[in-house]
Amino acid sequence: MNEVANTPRGRGVLACIQCGRCTSSCLVARAVEEHNPRKLMEMIILGLRSEVIAGPLPWHCLSCFTCLDRCPQGGDVGEVVFAIRNLAVREGNIPKGILDQARSLFETGRVVTPSRTALIQREKYGLGKEPMVDVEAVQKILRKTSFDKLIYRGS
Amino acid sequence: MKYAFFLGCLIPARTPNYENSVRKIAPELGIELVEMEGANCCAPFSIQSVDYASWLALAARNLCIAEEMGLDVLTLCNDCYESLLMTNTILKENKETRNKVNEILADVGSKFKGKINVKNFIDVLHEDVGLEKVKNAVKEPFNGLKVAVQPGCHLTKPKRIHFGQWMGMTALEELVEATGAKSIAYERKEACCGGPLRGVNDEVAMQVAKQKLDGMKVAGVDCIVTVCPFCYLELDMGQLEIKRHLKEEYDLPVLHFADLLRMAMGMKLENWEIKAHRIPITKILKIKEEK
Repeated sequence: MNEVANTPRGRGVLACIQCGRCTSSCLVARAVEEHNPRKLMEMIILGLRSEVIAGPLPWHCLSCFTCLDRCPQGGDVGEVVFAIRNLAVREGNIPKGILDQARSLFETGRVVTPSRTALIQREKYGLGKEPMVDVEAVQKILRKTSFDKLIYRGS
Repeated sequence: MKYAFFLGCLIPARTPNYENSVRKIAPELGIELVEMEGANCCAPFSIQSVDYASWLALAARNLCIAEEMGLDVLTLCNDCYESLLMTNTILKENKETRNKVNEILADVGSKFKGKINVKNFIDVLHEDVGLEKVKNAVKEPFNGLKVAVQPGCHLTKPKRIHFGQWMGMTALEELVEATGAKSIAYERKEACCGGPLRGVNDEVAMQVAKQKLDGMKVAGVDCIVTVCPFCYLELDMGQLEIKRHLKEEYDLPVLHFADLLRMAMGMKLENWEIKAHRIPITKILKIKEEK
């Protein structure tokens, strides 16, 4: 638990009283049986490290932040999820969709890049050129935070 | 009213028609949009999932560009809005974190000072331009058009960073009604569209979008009006996917709020913009012409 609680977004886990209000307000919990924010907090409190970090559980959250507004304790499950995801990524647990966006960010400064057609359309319809990104600055920042090592491990 | 215009990644790549509507109506309402040269991605939730420090540093670099310009930031995308607003709040409040981020930024010649605010387009229309001025700009009202508003999560949640600034949902509903349309109550109005899980967990994204669309269908609305480009894509393209996989059909056209206002101000959408919608919006155009 301390490993999560000691990260900037993970502190909320210390406030959790297991009331379950997060789960009852969670849209994903309605659609996916194994997604249960209260239980996720319980697993962290109990120290079930590998079950939490290696599995799919942290990647079901929408980050809609409904639970942040509903929690009576300021437990912030939606924030704690980011703390768990950061730890999961360090151990190689990262969904392809997120990895693709992260690599695109490192290579182009954007998580989504416009297609050729979209660029032609911009000019044609008078929207002008796409705003320029300073990719060099982005890469300098991301090298300094070792972001590149996280997303290009083993490749 | 002058703003540093933060366009983000998704809008120029996927919904340039949204950008076009904003650029068309802004000058009419006295809003001047100044481009942010060299700005990078806002570092949305996908990037925050990878690394905390990288998020703050990338978002802060954008804030520094606006500080240099001496202007508040105006964003059109809820994801950009939340990322930049949260970063601005954290760095203004927490000196230790600010110093750490500034250490990273020193290499690219930026320094966060905390001199500006981050605003959403709805915020700017409602608070800075003012509801009265928007009402006066409406020349061809949509009398009685029944609208399901979809503000998107990060216009209003979490309350601790949004409240005290303004009230997103109320503001959007008042703006929609300023165009003559009627905002209809429906189940799960404040709920997420499912978009944040698109590309990560498509099945869940689709289920969440369906919950939302079901509520709108029961309420009997004519169309959906969104603020966020993620909600727009999820509810527009999402309807085709739900039809294919879950055999449920809604036929609810989705408009950006900027489109609705632009038409109410008497400006026509161009052909390429009408064609950009996956669920045809001809129904709305027809309702408007009959008025």
